[in-house]
Amino acid sequence: MKRPFGRTKKIAKKKTNLSIFDVIDKPTLVNELKRNVDLWTTRQNPTGLCVACKGSRMLCGKTRCPVLVRINSFIRTFPLIKNVNIDGASPPSVFVGRIGYPYVYAGPLVPPIHEDTSHYDLPELWFGKPIDEIVNFRSMLVRGKQRIHVNRFHEAGKIIDRTRELALASSAIDVELSLKRPPRGCLVFSDGVQPFGPSAPIRDLRVGSSRWDHNIEKAYYDTDLKARPAVLELYEKGVLVTRIQRAFSVGALGVGQQRRLVPTRWSITAVDSTVSKGLMKQVRTFPLVGEYRLYESSYLSNQFEILMIPDAWSYEAIEAWYPGTVWNPSGRKVVMYGDSEGYEGRTTYASIGGCYYAARLAVCELLVKEQRQATIVVLREARPGYIMPVGVWQVRENVRNAMKNRPLKFNTLAEALQRIAAQFRIPLKQWESKSTLITRARLQRKLTQYT
Amino acid sequence: MFSVKMTDTKLLKDMFQAIAILVDEATFNVNPENIQLRAMDPSRVAMIDFQWPKTIFDEYQCDQPQKICVNIAELLKLLRRTGRDETVQLTLTPDTPKLQITITGKYTRTFNMPTLEPQEEETPTPKITFKTEAKATTEGLKQAIEDAQLVSDHVRVEADPEKITLQATGDLMGATIELKKGSDALLDLQTQEPSKATFSLSYLAEIIKAASATSEIATLQFANDMPIRIDFHQPKEGKLTFYLAPRIEVE
Repeated sequence: MKRPFGRTKKIAKKKTNLSIFDVIDKPTLVNELKRNVDLWTTRQNPTGLCVACKGSRMLCGKTRCPVLVRINSFIRTFPLIKNVNIDGASPPSVFVGRIGYPYVYAGPLVPPIHEDTSHYDLPELWFGKPIDEIVNFRSMLVRGKQRIHVNRFHEAGKIIDRTRELALASSAIDVELSLKRPPRGCLVFSDGVQPFGPSAPIRDLRVGSSRWDHNIEKAYYDTDLKARPAVLELYEKGVLVTRIQRAFSVGALGVGQQRRLVPTRWSITAVDSTVSKGLMKQVRTFPLVGEYRLYESSYLSNQFEILMIPDAWSYEAIEAWYPGTVWNPSGRKVVMYGDSEGYEGRTTYASIGGCYYAARLAVCELLVKEQRQATIVVLREARPGYIMPVGVWQVRENVRNAMKNRPLKFNTLAEALQRIAAQFRIPLKQWESKSTLITRARLQRKLTQYT
Repeated sequence: MFSVKMTDTKLLKDMFQAIAILVDEATFNVNPENIQLRAMDPSRVAMIDFQWPKTIFDEYQCDQPQKICVNIAELLKLLRRTGRDETVQLTLTPDTPKLQITITGKYTRTFNMPTLEPQEEETPTPKITFKTEAKATTEGLKQAIEDAQLVSDHVRVEADPEKITLQATGDLMGATIELKKGSDALLDLQTQEPSKATFSLSYLAEIIKAASATSEIATLQFANDMPIRIDFHQPKEGKLTFYLAPRIEVE
């Protein structure tokens, strides 16, 4: 059903749920929260585990309480964001929501500080940082928002024009964000939500002067260039994936009339998928790797084992979630999901979602760099220390990091699998039975063996 | 100079479709008598052996043997533009590296596409002693494979003197499909010894689906844990043969 532009669904009056004070065991935190009651709301965890646990008994199975991590950084931002006027340097960063598409909330993310904030929105630089630090600076980003139809820019006026301009800046840019009310945060007592700063509707937006990345600028003014070749061209020229994705998200690429805002989440996967598809085309023309290889990396309690099999290009990604991790909060058993594609690639959306494409991009980058072709199996084990989702960048950067390291080389598949078995806590049997490509490598014979 | 003309454009399209199952860049060997192609898929699990004598074409002209390599998917894209009662002519002259595709019907259009660097490497034929030979209708095979595909991604083919059994076992479901000797689907069956071998259904299904458009009857040859050879009977002295390597069942 189409809703007339600008009208939003009436939400039942938000109540500040005071039972949160029962959940937290630390008097200092409680006092701070009480003093700023109008700056946050809560959403309860339906299982009620948090109330029984009070952040100290780890009933959810994680190694640390994600709610406490979030509240800690929240409290630090309170004094900075009480105001309706946020004045700071945007990294630059924008966020386009996906709820209500094609009428979405869009707007800039601005931290209330004036320093070089450029790394606040550049996951390429985040690898190796502890989760607290990431949550900290992400919570500083105040989100201004305005509801807008994705391709009716002209109706939305100057705020959205300036948001789009801001997104293309090549470095941090001064922004004065004036809001209709003080920004509000939401303490979510559940794990499916990325750490996020507070938000409020925009009254006005002023953006300082900025320099654009000249490659992106060129693509922006080329209104005959389709989005796919534009993305590939920018990538070829060395523009960071995050920057391409930001431009993609604000509708700065593509044929003029068809440009539109793309929800941030979708745009990340769209760019990962488009770029890796372009790289795969090259990979298929390269000679095979000479041996079985294993690349490894571990970050934020996500262990990656990436197996290269000397065979024609095919790709598979499998992830296993321990009970108590982000996407398997209440299960008792390890849950495994996976999806794969053959030599020709795929035409349907991978069932495991965005990380499939993020990892595919990272492995293709290495194959293109080394001018080699291989069958790739990406295995990921998410352990209880992974207390909250941080975004698919974690997968992309984790796999990229694995690819930077020297691989372990093996002459046989069995030896490579032995090593995988030693690195993972989940038994090899389970990985093997889940993996189409490992099964294929074990059982499928080749015609060349019969000549 | 190489030039062929064909009025049966459906057969031409179906044949290229069958080739496209396994190869992207197809290197054809053309000579004054016939046109041939032999190639393996990128992972070397399946092989196609194709040959059409000049008599299949309405006009055939080739003064000397040569190799022609084209992107088969691109060529198919152009060929799909042909309708019924139209004629296709493929021409390659020595003075240009472009293949010319002329489609003549109510009006004439001429496309050209680049030819590619031909593959020099010869594809060897697998040497196998087959123990079972069966003649089946392609329609019967296609149906049987589609049944098996419902439950699994691989299928075991078993032959005894009386019948061929397809056994598919998936994670949860299974299927048994029997083709009895002398039935409408299985025209003939000769077994020197009981044979069984397992094959990937993704390959088998694609091959059989595409090739059955060009042929009514196929001859299957296989042996214990050996590649299968499927010969799709072609008019005149044409040949369309596929080899597919088996999956070995451990445990």
